[in-house]
Parts: sequence; structure tokens; C-alpha cells
Amino acid sequence: MTSIGEALGAVNARATMQAALPRPRIGLGSVNINALIAYALVSPPLFVMLLLIFFPAGQAIIRTLFIENETGAIGFSVNNYVNFFSDRIALSNLWFTVWVTVATVVGLFLVCFPIALYLRFAHGVLAAIVQVLALFPLFVPGIILAFALIRFLGPRGMVETALNLVGIQGYTSPYLKPSGIIIGLIWDYIPFTVLVLTAGLRQVEDALIESARDVGAGGWTVFRSIVLPLMDRPVLIVFCLNFISAFGAFTIPYLLGPAAPQMMGVYMQATYSDYLDQARAETQAVITFLCCALIGLLYVRAVTRQRAELS
Amino acid sequence: MRPQKKVSRRALLKGTALGVAGVALAACAAPAAPTTAPAAEATPTAMPLPTPPPAAEGKTAINVYSGSDTNITDWHANVVIPAFETKFPQYDVNIISTRGVAGGIKSIVDRSLAAMEVNADPQAELIEEDPANFPDSVKAGLWQKMDEATVPNAKNVIEAARVSEFGMPYRGSQVLLAYDSSKLPDDEVPKTFADLIEWVKKNPGQFTYSRPDKGGSGGNFVVRAIYEVTGRDPSKFKPGPADPALIAEFDKAWELLRSIHEFTYGNGSYPSGNNPALQLLANGSVTMIPAWSDQALQALSRGVLPDTVKLAQFADLPMPGGYAMMGMPKNTRNPQGAYDYMNFLLSPEIQESVVRDIGGFPAISWSLLPAELQSQYTSVITDNVPNWPGGEYNAARNKGWYEKVATNLQP
Repeated sequence: MTSIGEALGAVNARATMQAALPRPRIGLGSVNINALIAYALVSPPLFVMLLLIFFPAGQAIIRTLFIENETGAIGFSVNNYVNFFSDRIALSNLWFTVWVTVATVVGLFLVCFPIALYLRFAHGVLAAIVQVLALFPLFVPGIILAFALIRFLGPRGMVETALNLVGIQGYTSPYLKPSGIIIGLIWDYIPFTVLVLTAGLRQVEDALIESARDVGAGGWTVFRSIVLPLMDRPVLIVFCLNFISAFGAFTIPYLLGPAAPQMMGVYMQATYSDYLDQARAETQAVITFLCCALIGLLYVRAVTRQRAELS
Repeated sequence: MRPQKKVSRRALLKGTALGVAGVALAACAAPAAPTTAPAAEATPTAMPLPTPPPAAEGKTAINVYSGSDTNITDWHANVVIPAFETKFPQYDVNIISTRGVAGGIKSIVDRSLAAMEVNADPQAELIEEDPANFPDSVKAGLWQKMDEATVPNAKNVIEAARVSEFGMPYRGSQVLLAYDSSKLPDDEVPKTFADLIEWVKKNPGQFTYSRPDKGGSGGNFVVRAIYEVTGRDPSKFKPGPADPALIAEFDKAWELLRSIHEFTYGNGSYPSGNNPALQLLANGSVTMIPAWSDQALQALSRGVLPDTVKLAQFADLPMPGGYAMMGMPKNTRNPQGAYDYMNFLLSPEIQESVVRDIGGFPAISWSLLPAELQSQYTSVITDNVPNWPGGEYNAARNKGWYEKVATNLQP
């Protein structure tokens, strides 16, 4: 085990070396100009973000907190939130969303880690084919995917027909069930997950694995003690972004999911345009936003930590 | 040493990963923004608010928005518009679908209203919707009334279709029962709503209907349940503000529909639209569904539904139907174009096409259509087409249904 420890030590040594590399220094005057150019370059997108995302988000949060009371005066009130958290259906939809999201993210790791490991260590034609297949969903819009899955997994679909042909009866379709949403979302997010995990795995140097193998570490030990510890950041990134996407998903839950309970995206849309209840929809949106922001915080921390280490 | 991997693939992967991460980040940042249309932000695939293309050189644009299913927007694009533009070469008509846009047609109404407040071009000449469904916009004076003076063919519109102050009806449709006659003999088809409830309980899994807010076939089926418990008198429901006493009675309809919840397809898995419901009938998963007359007739003529599928209507009180209407924003930049297109839609020529090409009911009197057409369609057409006012009643219907019928929670 010491040798594996040494191998890991080598990784840290590399990082330290990188940090110690001489960095180009620029004179004081030019720093200011460079900094100004840099700020000028980032300001338009930053401004658009502020205007189109943070401003309306802030407005919505304020609108949910300042409401008209019986006398017609506008005052601070958490009534909207009290209503949400005392509404059994709203709560059950929120828990359902969390549940589906967690199941989707866990499913994605189970499906994508093996594919990514395979793509990292395998070479040749078969690996190229697997890679193309894994990336394929990237080019399929969600709505087409949903209808394709209805045809494939749905009642009297291809799977059921094939099973019947070989004499297996009693297939229950995931269409209009929670499992339908999970299958659809996993399919949709495979390419992104595989891409990030594969990219992360490629950062793991062959030499490290070689040396671990040389001192007798088996496949599992290599994975657990060398690969996994170096993968914490890609895993965290994949977790955060998939969680946020799945939490706010709309098309797939809308078309493949049950009428009740609903995921927050579908619920918000129904509350807004079918129940014509803007205040409630906005409250649901803020709660969804806060859930995603919490996970987003993890992501931002992961990214800033990486930057801090690099500089 | 292991052989080095090909650099190109490696570099490509990393590059793509970065790109995807960027796109995903941008897409994910979106759901974090709860604006007034949350669903749009939550949908990576949802379309942005549609804007019409500019009109061709030397022509005036007529922008027509529709939230209807593909059969209707296709019909406008492929039948009505070519004929209209031949007759009126000065116009360039765009039919723009609002399906997939969060808020649907409402987003266009909201945009027109916002444009009116700042005196800007709403980029909309006609909006396919009864303006009465958007009481705020009516109150704000967004809508232009169309009548015989501006749309001469309006004089032929039948009385039953004239139910809206600002909406001009141009095609009708009614919800019928569509059933597979190879599994259900014609003489066993339920005749009344009560019969249907009994039949569903005796034939578990063989009936389903679309979620009421996602498809009018399910919506009007739920309305029929509401009629059933409120004395089978559609005239009680008037456009405008909803009557709280009537809404209080909806609970009896929820009880009735909840009683068949577990006997519907998939133990209460309601398909999310008219077409998903038709699909379940087409592939034999269910025996009977409520369906729009036009969609069912069209699916039959195209072979999407097997020819064993037949249509029926309740004898005690038909399911509601309605007339699709066009509303015209007052601030439109091309009012004459709007009038001309509306008038053309009400011409006998296009009204005949409504029946022949989209299986709809005409909005003008049947007597103005060819006699052979009248006799061919007598079996589906009743003169009793209950009209459901929608608006606040729809909101109460949708919310009540989700909370008391479809819910997974026990009361």
C-alpha cells in the first residue's frame, strides 16, 4: 500500500510543481490596461446575465414576499411560502421532484461511469463506436426523444412486442409512470455525463496507474485508490449540473410522467397557465430556484477551488 | 509503457466536454430565474416566443397565431393561405404556432397587451383564441370587435356559434366517444354518462381521457362530468366571472370521476394530450376514449386509427364542443389584412374545406354548403353543441381535477 501512497504523492508533487512554475510578470502600468480590457470584455455578458437572469429573479423573489393584505396595502409577508408548505399537493410534488432527480443522478453515475472507464482505457474501433453511441443523444431534441421512448417502451411498443414474441408476458410500460421520467432523463443526460467523466479520467496519468499496477494493485484497488480520488471534481460537476437540469426538467416529465404527482417544472407551468395562479407559480419557481441554487453553490465552490489551486 | 492514445480524439473529447459544460451551464442557469413564465426557463427544448418573419418585398404581412394542434396550423399553411394569397396578392400571411411556447397563446396576448401600452407593433393581426378567455386583456381594451361591416361574411355565421363579443368563430368541433368496434359491439356502447361510468368500472383499463388542461378532448369530458352533477344544464355556465356556487358543486364531479380513477388505463395514468390519447386507442391499449370529432375523423381518413374505430355521442347530453375563434388586437398595424383574412375564412369555399379537410363543423349555416356534404356528415353533427365558457371555470376545473381526481394522495 505504501507504493500506492507514493503514487498519490507523485500527483500532489506535480500539482506543487505546477504552482511553483515561474509566471510571467507584467509591469504595473500594463497590468492596469490589461485589467481594464479584461473587465471591458467580460462586462457585456455579465450585464446581460444581470439584466435577464438576476434582475427578474430578484423581482420574482420580492413579489412573492411583498403582497397585498386585506386592506389593500402592500406589505412584507411569508404567506405565499406558508401556503406552499401547507399544501399537501405542492409538497408531494416537491418531494417527487427531489426523488426523481436523485434517482436520475444516481442512475446516470451507474450507467456512465462504466462507459467512461471503458472509453478511457479501451482503444480501437469498438471504443470509437461506443463513444459515438454514448454521444448520440446529444443530437436528439428532448421532445423527439420523448415520443421515440413512447413508441419504444410504451404500451404495444417495440419492447413489449419483442418480449411477447419470445413468450414473455406481463410487461408493464414505464410510460406515464415515474420510471418513464427517470429513463427519459438518464437517456437525455448520458452524453454530457460521459463527456465530463471521460475528460476527468483522461487527467489521470497512465504512469500513475502503471506504477500502481507494478506494485501489484488490482483493478478495483487502482479504481478506488488512484482513479476515484482524482475524480472528485468531475464527479461533483456532473452531479451538480445533472441535478440542476433534472430538477427543472419540463418536456420529458410532461410527456412521459404521470398526471400526479408532477415534477416542479410541469407543476409550475400548470399553475401559471392552467390554474391562472401567478402568485403560486412564482412561489413554486422561487422554491425551485433556491433548491437549484443550493446545488449550484457546490458547483461554484468546486470551480473556484480549482481556480485557486491553479493560480 | 502503454501505447499513447491518439491525441486527436483526446483533444476533441476535452474540447467538446468544455463546450458542453458551457452550454449546460448556460441552460442550467436558466431554471434558476423564476420569471413570469417559469416553464420556458425550465425547458431546454422549449422554443422562445415566436416572432414572424418579415413580409416579402412590396407585401403587407398578416401574422396569424394559433395554439391549435398541427392539423389546424398545417391546414392554414397548406390550404387557406395559398388560396388567400392567390386572391389577395398584396398580402404575405404567416401562420405561427404557439405550441411548445410556455404560456402558449397567452404569451402572444400578453405581448400584444404590452405593445399596446407603449404603442408598439404587436406583430399580430389575428390570434386564434376567444378573447373572453383573457379577461384582463378584454378589460384593458385590447380587442377589436369584428362584425358584418368589416367582415361581410360574418352575416352567415350561425347563432349557436355567436357566443363571444370579440371572438369571431370560424370552425367548430365537438368531443365524441371514439371506440374500437372490434372489441365493443355497437349496441353495447354507453348511451348516457351514467352508462359510461358503469362500463368503465366493468372494463378496467379500457378507458382513458387526456388531462383536462393538456387536451380539449379530456377537458370537455371532465366538463361533461361537471354538467352531469349540476343538472345537465350547460346554460348555467356563462362567460365572465365564475359563479362560486357552481364551482362549489364541482366536488360532486370530482367524486364521480374519482370513482373511475383506478379503472382507467394504467390505474389513472392520464395521457398528456389529445394525440397521446388517440395513440392509446390506435395501438389497442384502450377500447374507448373521448376524442375531438375533427381529430378522430382525420385520423380515420389517414389510417392512423384502424377503420374499426367508430364514433358515438351521449344521447342524454352531448359533450361540449366549441368554435375556434379569431381575435384581433386593436393595435394591429394591418387591420384591413386581418379583416380580409377573417372574411376569407368565413367564405363558403373555406367553410367547405373545414368539413372536408379538417373534419370540423362549419361556422356558417350548413345550407350554404353542398348538399352531398350535408348528407354525408349528418351522423356526426348535432345541433346541440354545449358551449363551455372556459376562463375562470377552466382554472377551477383544472385545479380541482389535479387535486381531487388525479392525485396520488388520499383525502
